[in-house]
Amino acid sequence: MDKLIITNLTKSYSNGVKALKGVNLEMSTGMFGLLGPNGAGKSTLMRTIATLQEADTGSIYLNDIDCLSQKMEVRKVLGYLPQQFGLYPKISAHDLLHHFAILKGLTDKPQRKETVDALLQKTNLYEVRHQNLGGFSGGMKQRFGIAQALLSNPKLLIVDEPTAGLDPKERNQFYYLLSEIGEHAIVILSTHIVDDVKELCTQMAIINQGEVILQGDPLSLIDQIKDQVYQKTIHKNEIEHYRNTYEVINVQHYLGQPLIQILNDTAPEGFTPSQVGLEEVYFRQLSNTSNR
Amino acid sequence: MWYEIFKFELTYRSKRPETYLFFIFLLAFSVFGVDFIFQGVALGMVKLNAPIVIGKTMGVITGFFMILASMIMGMPMIRDDRYQITHLFYTNPITKSDLLIGRFLGSLLILILIFSGIPIGMMLGELMPWHLEGEMLPFRLASYITSYFSVVLPTLFFGAALFFVTGSLSRKLLVVYTQGIFLFVVFMLTKSITNQYMQAILDPFSLTTITYLSEGWTVAEKNTLLLPFSGALMVNKLFWIGIGLGVLCWGYYRFSFSIRRESKKPIKQKVSIDPTNKINDINLPTANLQYNLRSQLKQYTRLSIFYTKSILKENSFWAIVICAVIIIMINSISLGTVYGVDSYPTTYFIIEELQEMSMYFFIIILLFYSGELYWKERDICMHLMADATPISSLVRLSSKMTGLISIYIVLMLSLILSGLIFQLINGYYQFNIPVYFSGFFIEILPFLTVYTFFAFFIQALVNHKFLAILISLISFIIMVACGAMGYDHILFYFGGGGLPPYSEMNGYGHFMTPYLWTKMYWILFGIMLLVLASLLSVRGTDKKLTSRLISVGSNASRNIKVFASTALILFLCVGTYNYYQTHIMNEVWTNTEQQEYRADYEKTLKPYEHQPQPNIIAANLNLELYPENQSYELEGEYILKNEEAAPIHEIHIQQLIESDITLSEVQFSESVTLDSQYLEFHYNIYRLAHPLEIGDSLTMSFRQTLQPKGYNSGSVGSVLDNGTFIRNNEFPTLGYNSKYELSDSLDREQYELTSRPTKAAITDMHGLQEARSGSDSQGIRTKIKIGTAADQTAITSGKLINSWHTDDRNYFEYNTVQPIINFYAMLSGKYEVARDQWLSTPNQQNPVDLEIYYHPQHTYNLDRMMNGMKASLDYYTTHFSPYQYEQLRIVEFPRYEEFAQSFPCTIPFSESIGFMLDIDDSIDIDMTFFVTAHEVAHQWWGMQIETANVKGRNFVLETLSQYSALMVFKQKYSKAKVEQFLALQQDLYNVGRQKSTSAEIPLYLVENENYIYYNKGAIVMYKLYELIGEENLNLALRSFLKDWNSLDGEIKTKSVRYATSEDLIGYILETGGKDSRENIIKLFSEI
Repeated sequence: MDKLIITNLTKSYSNGVKALKGVNLEMSTGMFGLLGPNGAGKSTLMRTIATLQEADTGSIYLNDIDCLSQKMEVRKVLGYLPQQFGLYPKISAHDLLHHFAILKGLTDKPQRKETVDALLQKTNLYEVRHQNLGGFSGGMKQRFGIAQALLSNPKLLIVDEPTAGLDPKERNQFYYLLSEIGEHAIVILSTHIVDDVKELCTQMAIINQGEVILQGDPLSLIDQIKDQVYQKTIHKNEIEHYRNTYEVINVQHYLGQPLIQILNDTAPEGFTPSQVGLEEVYFRQLSNTSNR
Repeated sequence: MWYEIFKFELTYRSKRPETYLFFIFLLAFSVFGVDFIFQGVALGMVKLNAPIVIGKTMGVITGFFMILASMIMGMPMIRDDRYQITHLFYTNPITKSDLLIGRFLGSLLILILIFSGIPIGMMLGELMPWHLEGEMLPFRLASYITSYFSVVLPTLFFGAALFFVTGSLSRKLLVVYTQGIFLFVVFMLTKSITNQYMQAILDPFSLTTITYLSEGWTVAEKNTLLLPFSGALMVNKLFWIGIGLGVLCWGYYRFSFSIRRESKKPIKQKVSIDPTNKINDINLPTANLQYNLRSQLKQYTRLSIFYTKSILKENSFWAIVICAVIIIMINSISLGTVYGVDSYPTTYFIIEELQEMSMYFFIIILLFYSGELYWKERDICMHLMADATPISSLVRLSSKMTGLISIYIVLMLSLILSGLIFQLINGYYQFNIPVYFSGFFIEILPFLTVYTFFAFFIQALVNHKFLAILISLISFIIMVACGAMGYDHILFYFGGGGLPPYSEMNGYGHFMTPYLWTKMYWILFGIMLLVLASLLSVRGTDKKLTSRLISVGSNASRNIKVFASTALILFLCVGTYNYYQTHIMNEVWTNTEQQEYRADYEKTLKPYEHQPQPNIIAANLNLELYPENQSYELEGEYILKNEEAAPIHEIHIQQLIESDITLSEVQFSESVTLDSQYLEFHYNIYRLAHPLEIGDSLTMSFRQTLQPKGYNSGSVGSVLDNGTFIRNNEFPTLGYNSKYELSDSLDREQYELTSRPTKAAITDMHGLQEARSGSDSQGIRTKIKIGTAADQTAITSGKLINSWHTDDRNYFEYNTVQPIINFYAMLSGKYEVARDQWLSTPNQQNPVDLEIYYHPQHTYNLDRMMNGMKASLDYYTTHFSPYQYEQLRIVEFPRYEEFAQSFPCTIPFSESIGFMLDIDDSIDIDMTFFVTAHEVAHQWWGMQIETANVKGRNFVLETLSQYSALMVFKQKYSKAKVEQFLALQQDLYNVGRQKSTSAEIPLYLVENENYIYYNKGAIVMYKLYELIGEENLNLALRSFLKDWNSLDGEIKTKSVRYATSEDLIGYILETGGKDSRENIIKLFSEI
């Protein structure tokens, strides 16, 4: 069983922004969801784990490997798909995947060919493998990105917002693939789509403003507030009033009217029990931190 | 609305660092601009801040740095794509014309402001302290302003239009840069236009235009007239502005106001997701990853191929290749041109042309593609994925480096191919493939490699693509300038120096060994730079230099440390070896040390200058040449005779001041005491126990060796592997030698030495009594035995009386039959010989053996030389006097120097001057014939008659040889050819006159100005011939020879002095007749 242990990781940028403020996390084989709003520090954390960025203090250990100093060792077992990336336009998917395979150390030609072909098929790019990447759609590019991340049978796979640009079908396909990998590797998936985590992850953490504000497995986290969330459709003007009275965790819209969700031990007047999912957990945590 | 966009452009640019950087760079460069561009160009009397000089400098700087213009003007439209705001921008309610006009004008204004750095910098440059008073005119603002407006701005406009449009349409910066090359190609092409007016109109940088414009100007006009914006300059500028406008209009219509055009070949099919999820069943194979050395080597190979291919896919690269090939095809039409005649397109000429022309392209490729490759991943945002792989940074960077070098090789091969095609087209089939390869792969590739290491290092250090390109460019310029100023010691001059030209006779000779060691030293240095670059380079998102510097140590793996230390140790070893060769085995003299030494020599020994010394009347030499290690051993014996008016008490012996020369065992047949107080100048005084009485003689014997130690880099023209050429002035001389004096008047001033004339006045007592500077003889007899390598022939003046082969060496013994002047040469090489015989015309007597010693392949012009010798002997013996020797020889020597020189009965002739000329008698002048006739004429003018070493000496020797050769030429060739020849002389004279830094002096008082004694001399003598007739002129020369020849001249034998130009003119006036007197005097004295 592989373990990734992050201890007290901090990072501040030269412009004064504190991207990570003492992050502590522990992950083991399986899918780990990293939730958080944009700018929460998810990408910084992932880049740091992926050896692409230095940390100020703290440590990251993948089993015995010190990820902050033994970068090459980490890279040997790492698959990384960044949030945004480009690809050489004038080269075919086949050739570029071979290029990445060489970068990763797949220098044995027959093996490389076998792996590359399998991945091209797995990511459904086999049919278009000889076309230049310049003509690829967003989804195809993303699939290519996944293919390159999987080239080296990673023990640690880091995927940063991977489903952006994928259509629902492709997304499903992709998640299936990830969960397959997650059977024998640590897969860190960052996203701001709560459902993704619920569907896939056995462990998760919520990050906001550089801090881990919640960590656990999704089901037990949901259990914790299962019977405490209530909802009510209200008038626009009343939002402020409710905010002052209750712990409002989320305001949605339902048929054009605001629908608020609150956290309360019992159902107040006019409120009905709300279905509780990971989303509610997430919103609750976010509202918690912003209230503090 | 366009105004808003215009303003936005200005605001945006004013915040960009490169705007200021470019300005400062141009300004800084321009401070040195004039000095840099006109370095080594003879301006003559035109001052360094004359308007036309300023105009040309601005033209060159503008042309050279059009690349900056392309960086500025190409960007505006590409920027949108790069920052991916095209969509936002183009959906706004702005019109196409607003956008284009606003952007163009905004960028153009910025460009104009940036380039105003040129005039400002040049004005500052004028104030710089290194300019001497005599070089400059008073400061004049208008010279700069007018040049800026009339030369720089129109060029900028055209360039701006071109770069802006190509940038907007292609959206690729590399395409924009290629346009810069296109402009350069146009410029080079205009150089091959023969119509001067058209050339002036079409030159995009107006350099030839300014030359054309100022052609008829006098020096005073050149110094004062501002560049007039009229005539050719105006037409030129209007032409290019017009083209610029045309390009803009075209671009405007072509520009599509939409997102950049999509790929023409869209994805053929949308691949649908397999609904059955079949692909989920595919099992991924377990990859077997390897990180050992073998695997890294494979990575290195594969990645190198990958990066090479990636450049090969760029159209811009092929555009460069095509441009280079076109330029070379056009420019190679005239190769190895001597006196207006082209040489055969031999491989070494082609390769030199290719090297010279392609350098610009190589530098462009080096600068830009090193940037492209270094930034390859990051430019398209692929770097995070690639950086997270376990590839070693060093392997990746080395592959990029190798990729770039492969690209050079591709270009080199294309150039070689085009060279071969060029030879084929010209019907020349002696392809010398090894020379092609060594010309590129030995001479150029190491240089490029070393600079490529540097360029990658700068990219890694600076981490800003354009800034790094700019820094690399500036560094190149600085390094080239350092080299040009003489700071080129192999241990410190980055990249080391080059090789001397390739000679078919001597190959690269002994120069190759130090060259290769030097390159190895610098390549090892480059490898260390590359390792450092790989450790410094950004991996991931941390870009701060300080943190990158800190992590250099931790980035270095054990393997890299081992690799780097190996490179370091090798570097130190090679460096130590080189140091040992250059500093321990050889002495290194700085310029200042040399000058000081010379000044001291003069200050200490000048009092001995006119100390009476005996004359050498005979020399018996036993010279053992060892061409294979460029050394010789000489055992010599001089017979010295007192021909002065008083007894001689001491003999002063000067050894050649050269570090590898040793003079030893100097002994006299009389008893002497040695006074060696001037040993530091290799000047020894031997005091005779009994003075040498008038008319008495004694024998001096000596031993001299030349034994080069360590790198023997300097001495071109001494003992060589093949083609040795040494003169007797290398051997011990008597008395003070004025050739060691400082000659530059500024240097002399600095060391408080009185100024000295180039030549003594025509009335100078000492000058009149010597035939050459420091002459120590009035004619000698020689017995010379030369031993040389088994495959070589040795030649010197005199009759070959014996030759034999012992101990695997060849020996030759030459004796003179009658006295010769004390100036002879010894040559040795692997020669073939062409022989013939000449008999005097009336009585078929006094046969003269004609011989040409030539390099086996150089047979093209042997007939012309042979005919030249015969025709010359015919004419000169008929009209002047009998020929004094029984032999006449031409001996070829390597092309390190380009001249032919006459010694008694022997004429060394450079490989480059007559042997390789491809003379087409229907268009060309037969220069081989002419030069032969000229040199043979020196057997009379110089060998029979010696002249006083005063002003006008070269008029007698050289101008008479020109005349004599012209008469021989006239007999053989038509009047039209003679006129063609005279027209060429007129051109050369005009050019020489323009470049001269001092006022012209009359022909009969000429000093060392070859444009006067050769070119003007030929013209004047032809006019004289037309004026008084060939017969009268030859009669005068006959009498002159009869009275003044060194052997038995009727006047000479009774006089202590030698003849002067005034004596010669006396004879001409006598035979020319009273009527012509005025005109004759005018011809010789008029300027």
